Parts: sequence; C-alpha cells; structure tokens
Amino acid sequence: MSDSILVIGAGIAGINCAMNAAKYGTKVYLVDDTASIGGMMARLDKTFPTNDCSICIEAPQMYEVDNHENIKILTNTEVRKVKKVNGTFKVKLVKKAKYVDEEKCTGCGACVEACPVSVLDPLDGKVGGMRKLVSMAFPQAVPNVVSVDPSCRFGEMRKQGACIGECAVDCSQCRECPIALCVKACEKEGKKAIELWQANKNLNLEVKSIVVATGIKNAPPAGDLLGYDKYENVITNTEFERLMNAGGPTAGEIIRPSDKKHAKKIAWIQCAGRGLAEGKGTPYCSKICCMISTKQTIITKEHDAVVEATVVYNDLKAYGKGFWDFYRKANENGVRYVRGRPYEVFEDSQTKNLTVRYEDLDTGELRKQEIELLVLATGIIANTRNKRLAKALKIKLNELGYFKEKDSLLAPLDTNVDGIYLCGGATGPIDIAESVVQATAASFKAVSYK
Amino acid sequence: MDDKVRIGVFVCDCGTNIAGVVDVPEVTEYSRGLPNVVLADEGKWSCSVDYLSKLQDLIKEYRINRVVIASCTPRTHEPLFKRTVREAGVNPYLLEFVSIREQVSWVHMKEPEIATQKAKDLIKMGVAKAALLEEGQEIRLPVKTDCLIIGGGMAGMNAALSVADQGFNAFLVEKGPQLGGILNKICFVSHDNHKMPAAKLIRAKVEQVQTHPNISVYTDSELESVEGYIGNYKVKIKSNGDASTKDLDISTIIVATGMEEIEPEGQFEYGNDSRVITQLQLDNRLKDKQLDNVKNVVMISCVNSKNETRGCCNIGCHAAVKNAIAIKHLRKDASVHILYRDMSLIKEEGMAQQTAKRLGVKFLRFSDDRYPDVQIENGNLKIKVYDLLVGREFELPSDLLVLTTAFKGHDTVGQIKGHLKVSANPDGFFQESHVKLGPLEFATDGISIAGCAKAPMTFKESCEEGFGAAMKASIPMNKGYIETEGIVAEIDLTDCTQCGLCSKRCPYSAIAVDEEKNPEVLQALCKGCGLCAADCPAECINIVHYSDDQVFAQVEAALEENPEKKIVAFVCHWCALGGVDMAGVSRLQYPSNARLIRVMCAASVSLKMMQRPFELGAAGVLVAGCEFPTCHYIEGNYAAEKRLRRAKKQLAKAGHDPEKLWNIWCSAADGPKFANTMRSMVKDLGL
Repeated sequence: MSDSILVIGAGIAGINCAMNAAKYGTKVYLVDDTASIGGMMARLDKTFPTNDCSICIEAPQMYEVDNHENIKILTNTEVRKVKKVNGTFKVKLVKKAKYVDEEKCTGCGACVEACPVSVLDPLDGKVGGMRKLVSMAFPQAVPNVVSVDPSCRFGEMRKQGACIGECAVDCSQCRECPIALCVKACEKEGKKAIELWQANKNLNLEVKSIVVATGIKNAPPAGDLLGYDKYENVITNTEFERLMNAGGPTAGEIIRPSDKKHAKKIAWIQCAGRGLAEGKGTPYCSKICCMISTKQTIITKEHDAVVEATVVYNDLKAYGKGFWDFYRKANENGVRYVRGRPYEVFEDSQTKNLTVRYEDLDTGELRKQEIELLVLATGIIANTRNKRLAKALKIKLNELGYFKEKDSLLAPLDTNVDGIYLCGGATGPIDIAESVVQATAASFKAVSYK
Repeated sequence: MDDKVRIGVFVCDCGTNIAGVVDVPEVTEYSRGLPNVVLADEGKWSCSVDYLSKLQDLIKEYRINRVVIASCTPRTHEPLFKRTVREAGVNPYLLEFVSIREQVSWVHMKEPEIATQKAKDLIKMGVAKAALLEEGQEIRLPVKTDCLIIGGGMAGMNAALSVADQGFNAFLVEKGPQLGGILNKICFVSHDNHKMPAAKLIRAKVEQVQTHPNISVYTDSELESVEGYIGNYKVKIKSNGDASTKDLDISTIIVATGMEEIEPEGQFEYGNDSRVITQLQLDNRLKDKQLDNVKNVVMISCVNSKNETRGCCNIGCHAAVKNAIAIKHLRKDASVHILYRDMSLIKEEGMAQQTAKRLGVKFLRFSDDRYPDVQIENGNLKIKVYDLLVGREFELPSDLLVLTTAFKGHDTVGQIKGHLKVSANPDGFFQESHVKLGPLEFATDGISIAGCAKAPMTFKESCEEGFGAAMKASIPMNKGYIETEGIVAEIDLTDCTQCGLCSKRCPYSAIAVDEEKNPEVLQALCKGCGLCAADCPAECINIVHYSDDQVFAQVEAALEENPEKKIVAFVCHWCALGGVDMAGVSRLQYPSNARLIRVMCAASVSLKMMQRPFELGAAGVLVAGCEFPTCHYIEGNYAAEKRLRRAKKQLAKAGHDPEKLWNIWCSAADGPKFANTMRSMVKDLGL
C-alpha cells in the first residue's frame, strides 16, 4: 500500500493540511486546478478580526510547502478518476498545459512585457485590471512561473489583432512560430521555457488517503441584483477587496469604476440576494460576510478617514473570538450600521451616484441614501466544481452543493468513502481559522488512515 | 576546511532582467577585487540546473568556503542555493544572499550607472558580512511519546484517543469526578438537521477512552506543577484534593479545559426566582424531561453578551433554537418565545429556525439598547419586550424564563496559564498563537490547545479541534524530535549581569534562567527574532548569522564611500522585505540611496545599530518591519516601535538629528508604500 496522501485544493486549508502531514513524515501530493497555490486567501487584502495582511501571512506558508521535501505540488491539475483497489486509491489526473516548462521558467516576466494582448482579468470582475495573455497568477505565485492563456494558443491573439502577419501556420496549430512574441522574448533571455505546442498530460498516482479541500466560491450577484448588471458603481465585496489591495488592479486606491475617482460615500449591503428564489442568490447565512464588510469599512476608513461608510444589515454575525470588538472598532471609527432591508437601487445618470432605498428595521420607516459606490455582500456558495469531483471520488454532496459528511457528530470530516476526508470550504462557508483547524484535523485522519 | 576565508561571488544576469540594467561584467570584475574574494563569476541564469552544477564545481575547484549569491531575492531562492552549497560541502550558514534584481535592476531601470554602483555596494556589503559568517546547524531536540491532555471533555477525549491510537501514551487529567465536560449538562447536540442525545455520545467516548491501553485517566486531578519544555516536561499532578500526587515525564501538552456558564446573578430575577434559569439548566431539565406544569417558556438571548466587556457567545442562538424545538416536541401545548437581538444562525442552522417557527415558536426581536423587562407581579413572572419588527410592546406571561448567558473559562485557568507560561483573556479563555493561522497552538512549542478552552464552540467544532490539537502534538512525537533552523540566540555569559530581561522578553519562553540566575537559550525553541539580543543591556547576546559584528560590517561597507548620500535600511525578512520585493516585481522606480540590510525581525535592530550609521556620516537610517498587527514573531514590530522612540532620544543626546531616523511598517503587498517612503526620505533628507 502507498503511504502517500493526496490533498485536493491548495488554498489555505489544503496548504495547512499538506504541511502538517508532511511534517508528520508523510509524503503529500498537493493538487490545485489553478496555476498557483494560495487559493482565495491569496487574493484578499486583509483578514478579520486582526487586519493581518493576507498575503503576508500566507506567502511564508506557500514557500514552506514549496520547499518541503515531502510535498509535491501539482498546479493546473484536475482529478479525473479515482478507484480504490486493495485499500489504495488509484488516481488519474490531468495536468493542463501551461504552455510553459515549469522547470525552465524563472518567472522573470520578460514574456509578459512582450505580450501585446491584454484582456480583462476575470478574477477581478468589474474592478478588474488588465492581464496579459501570458501572465503570472499573482506576484507571490507558487510555483513562480508564468502560464499562457489557452485562448491565446487557440487563436485569440490573432483575433485581438496582435499577430502581425507572416504566420506560417494557424494559431491553433502554432509550433512556436516566429511571430509568437512571448517565445521570442523568452529566447532572448536565453531560456526556452515557453512551449506553445505543449499538450495536457495524464498523470497517475497511488495514495492511501485523500483530503478534499476545494474551498468556497463567492456567490455571483443573481440576475440584476440591486442594479449590479446595470450600474457601473455597484460591485461585490470580493471586487471591493481587490480595490483595497495594494497588490490589486488599482494598487490599493479605492476608486469607483465609472470615473476612477476616489469614492467618499460607500454603502455595504449585507445578505444581498439572500433568500431569493431557487438558483438565484444564497439561500442561507454565509457566516463570514458581516465580518468581511466590517473589515472593509475599517480598512477603508484607514485609507481615508473622511469616507462615509454605511453598512445595511439584518442580523449581525459576530460569532467568533474578537469579532464583536472588531465590530465595535468599526463603530468607533465612525462606520454607520443600519439595521435595514434594502429593496431598490437607482442611479443618477449624470453623476453615476446611486440611491439606495431601504426599510429601517429599527423604526419601520422607509429611507433613502445617496452614495457613490455600493458594495454587495452576496454570500458564499459551494464550489461549482464540487459536482464533478464528487462523482470522481464517489462521495456525496448535500443539497447545498457542499460535500456531505458521513456523520457530522460521530465522525466529523469523514465522508461515505473510508479514507477520504474533508476540510475547509468543502464543508460549507467557513473562515480562515476554522479552515486551518479542520485542515489540521483532516491531515491527522489522512496520515493515520490504515 | 581551510581556516582562511575564501569567498566566491556569483553574480546573476537573470537573462536581461539584471544584466539589461546593471553592468554585470563590471560588477563581477569589481567583486574580484574585494577582500577575501578568490573567485567572482557571472552566470546567465544562476538558478538553472546547469549553472548550479557549475557553481558546485567552482566551489570545489577554488576551495571556496564562503559564498555570496547576487541575484533575485532570498525570499524565494535562498533555500535552493543553500541546498546547492551544502551539496558542494559548504555549510549553508556560510552563504550570503544579495538582492540585485528586486532591489536594483527592477527599481532603477533608467539609471544603469547608478544601479551598477548600488549593485557593487550591496555585493561589497555581502562580502564584508560573508567574511565574518560562522558555521551553523539545525538544532534538534529529542521528543518522546508521552502526551499530557488537560481536560476530559469532548475535545480532550478526542485528542487523547487520537494520540493513543497512534501508539503514543496519553495522560488525561480531569479536574472533576467524571469525563465528558460541559456535555454532561446538555440534553442533546445537533448539527445541521442531525441530532443525538449527549449522554449517548459521552458514554461511547468514555468507554473508548477508559478501555484504551495507551490512555491513563486521572479524574479529580489537577496540575500541581509543570517544569521544562517540549520533550522534557516534568509534571506533577495531584488527585482527590491533596491526597495523592504523581510525577509524569511528558513530551507534549494539550490544553482542553473547556468552559462554564456565567451565572447571571441578580439579572432578570435570576437567583430570586426559581423559575428563572439558564440555557444549560434548561438542557439539564430537558434531559430528565422535567417540564411538567410548564406552559409558557420565554428565552432571552445575549445575556451578558455583546456588550462593553464581552462579545458574542457564539453558540447561544443555536442552543436556544435547539432547546425551543425540544420543548415543543416534549409539550406541544407549551408556548415558546425567543427574544433576541441578532439571530446568529449559520447555513443549515437557519433551517432549524424555520423548523422552530413551524412548530409554533415565536421570535421577537429587541434592540441592542432596550433589553426586555422582567418583573414579578403577584408571584407571576411578567416579561415586557418591545418588538422591533412589529413596532410595539408585548407583555408575555411566563412560568419558565430561560437566560441564554455568556461563557467563561474555568477557575483553574489562572493556575494553568501560570504553569505553562501561556496567556489567557480576562474571561479565562486561552490565547492561541495566531488567531488566523495558529488556532491550535500556543507560541511555545509543544503546547497545543483545543475546544472551548479557547472560545465557546459547538460540539462538532470541539471534536475537530481535538483531532487537530492531537495532530500538532503528534508531529514531534512521531518524528522523535523537533528541529529548528540554526539562526538562534547565543549568550556569552562573560558580561552578563543576570538582569533576566532576555528571559522575560522572549516571546517563545526559549530562555531559561538557572538557579544562579544565569540565562540559558533553549536553542530548539528559539526562533531567532533577535529581540533579546537587541535589548540586552550588557550586549552579550548574538544571533547566529545576524551577529552585531556581521551587521556592523555591512553598515561600514555600505558607508565607505559617499556616506552623506546614503540611507542604511534595516529590513525585516518577512513582510517588509516582501514589500521591497513587491516594489521590484511591480517595477516601481524609486531613488537609489538606500542600502538594505536584511534582519530577521525589526525587533533585532538595536539602539547601537540605529546609531552606528550616523556615526559614519549616513544621511539617514530606516527601520522597516511588518505592518501592524502582523509580525512573524508575535510582537516584534511593537517592540521595535518602542525602541525607535528611545533611539530618537538617544540620537539627540549624541548630537545626531533624530528626524533622520525613519521607520516604515509595511505589508508584503505594499510595494507602493516602500517606494513612497524612499521618495519621501530622499526629499526630506535633501538628497
């Protein structure tokens, strides 16, 4: 039997799970289907309730797993098929092409500079900056290598007018044609790391146990939720987090999308879209959004104390250690919390300012407030990729799309398949500290599974 | 190895990343002329496999015993070069890393001559330090397999079983007469839509614990004393009062002491009227199905919670809804009202509220500053509440008033935290090492924490914490040792005044004081932050790889030429250097006056280090540490901030302008902040 374990998902839960198991002395395959490990936490600016800088505390852990002799990191890799034979899981995976030789690339960025095509960074949504078709996931990415967007490889570059002609072959057949500027730039640096001809690779692993740490997803605004689709200055709290982030698309300037001016009046709407009809919005309390908004208001006021920050909420979830004090700190800093139920948002077509109409729950009165930027806390939903993974692993999902525990009281974090365990956002909406606890618990179960 | 210092300098082109700006051949030639340098070599890609093997060959050929790598950033590439030189027979502590990409070529792209000069300076500083480097080694401390678990509740029992199942010995100490903790007072537990009687859960777990060959259970027992450190604890426990004591040799400790309800004495007639009880007392009555004659139940949430002194109790709403449903199941005709402020129910818990509503439980919401009023009129309990959502006052009759009250740690916490030298908050909940990323451990190696001893949590969370804490304790026990990097404090007792400051200040309890008051570094526990060294009044502590001599050599090399144009910047390895690197990656262009000296923590920069550059004529000094509240060493940046204030006074006394001592607290994402500070400094210092 193999004594390795497989950790699926390399966000903060997967990283901690892998780290503990590796320190224990077990070999770990840490797999993620994106280009870098780090997960959602790597894109956050700060973490509540201490306002620790997110990447500052996560990056050392990322480097540590990267350098640990017991851990093999596989990025851009998906789990396709799992079969348990004589107590060993036989796992088939696909490593999707990055079109880059990970051993040769040094992350120097010469190709990124050379690439003539910029596209919107979908991960940043409405506040998104531009991203080159060859790019690094984020500056602290692990592994610190670039990857080429497959849409470039399949002709997108030509559509964008980037090809300057004289191409001997069709882009989709590209074999490092002389026009591929990234390839040229890389060669000029003396490296031949970009391999546009690269294909997906099948991998096979044998492991004794598996931990699913696939994380959560921010709920997209359902329909035209509170004007999100119509009005430029309505954004989600994830997008706002990117605005605050010094490493984000605006280098930490809190400017609104319509005119790139600093927003001085900002409102947050909690539970945005909650309780909408099936398939739209989040049907339950996502636990962490109240504290996310509280954090965002505090940081916003730190950036610029004159900003008027209003949070329209229903039930305040200050459920963890230090969370209530955090909320009090926001109050002391002048953040206005209004117990209210918003029902409409209008835009002034001239100023692009927004007017929120809401019912004040304390008084029962209808009120309105004009603001310059509206942030929607849309909640957390299960990762959409869970379904496929559940099928591959033969484990169950609950009705909300999260992985189902075998028995949440008698055997927490166990699944219906012996030897497969859960942690972090795979089990439901969860904060970082709780993810780390579950990850450590799951690592224990995985290494001691016989 | 040769006694004589033979330094090899390896300068990287990084393709054109460095060589496109910095004149690398010139820098390499310059390096050859530096003292003790026997070889300087230019590499196109120093980190490529072929160059690394060339580097190893050159080390052997030139009998190099100190290596200076001038390339990208140590934050990503130092481990690789350390491995490489180790394989070539050079102790990895004899390697010095100089950053000429992030700190030079990427940030001074338009000034090739200035960049080349700065690269030379940085290499000169690296060579000066390298000449003084001494061998180091990872430090190991043996750890056996005996684990002490304090507290026999669910978290403690799960931890004990997890440890014992791996073949390790678990010693489970419980203060009370029986195992099970607070769960003994609870009727049933639930998660999502799944519920089970608590008694059943306890019975099953207690049986496993008591029959496990590797678990020794001590009930009615408490800690008498704890001495030592990971792998080497001497623990004395006393049982049945002081009737008997037992000595244990312990390797690791798990704290799982749980919590208890705060009795709301004098509030809402509690204590005056037997019909007013707490949520736990209700649980107890539900267990025995004692609800005869109860018709009107009213529950008040957030008693003693969410006020000036205390936060959310975390589990009260959940408990109230759970018990309301139980009452309805037991007595269909009973009316149940839950008076609440915010309904804190997460995910599926919200569905339990729907179930309760379907069963007829009524929810009334009161405002934060208008709690319900409880009075006894003619022997009857009368509760008046203003319902926020309906907008009017209700008067509710009640024959059972249940107060959902806050929790606190046990009385023993004060003693235990003294024994273990860990901290706890005023409510008696222990303080974990890091709220986000260290939820299961204390700063001191070898002691982990689980369950409600840290904060109120649900049954399921407590179980998970039990497994997690067991994992933390098991890692060193399974390996048989703990190992730490050799960057640690060393004390030379010659000048020691036995003031004890170092031991007191150490955030990791890594400095012990012996019977003669002499301090001793428990090197395996030392994290090398350097706080003790910088604070030592007798200057008798040094940090391996960051000794005073080495740092001063860098300062002197930096200021050898044109000191009046230069800023000496002490930069912490973690966030601040991350910010510097981020400025580099983002190609932010800033003035080139600063010469950066890497330290592990801003707290290691002593008054003397801050003053020395001024004595040599430097234009300014910058201390760069992590942005508050983040610090890799818990509170090093706070200590540094305090010291900076003292340094300014001292500088003024010594006739230097204290305004020329700057500081920056910078996150690893904050490239712009570092670049701006550089610009402001240059402007304000008139450079």
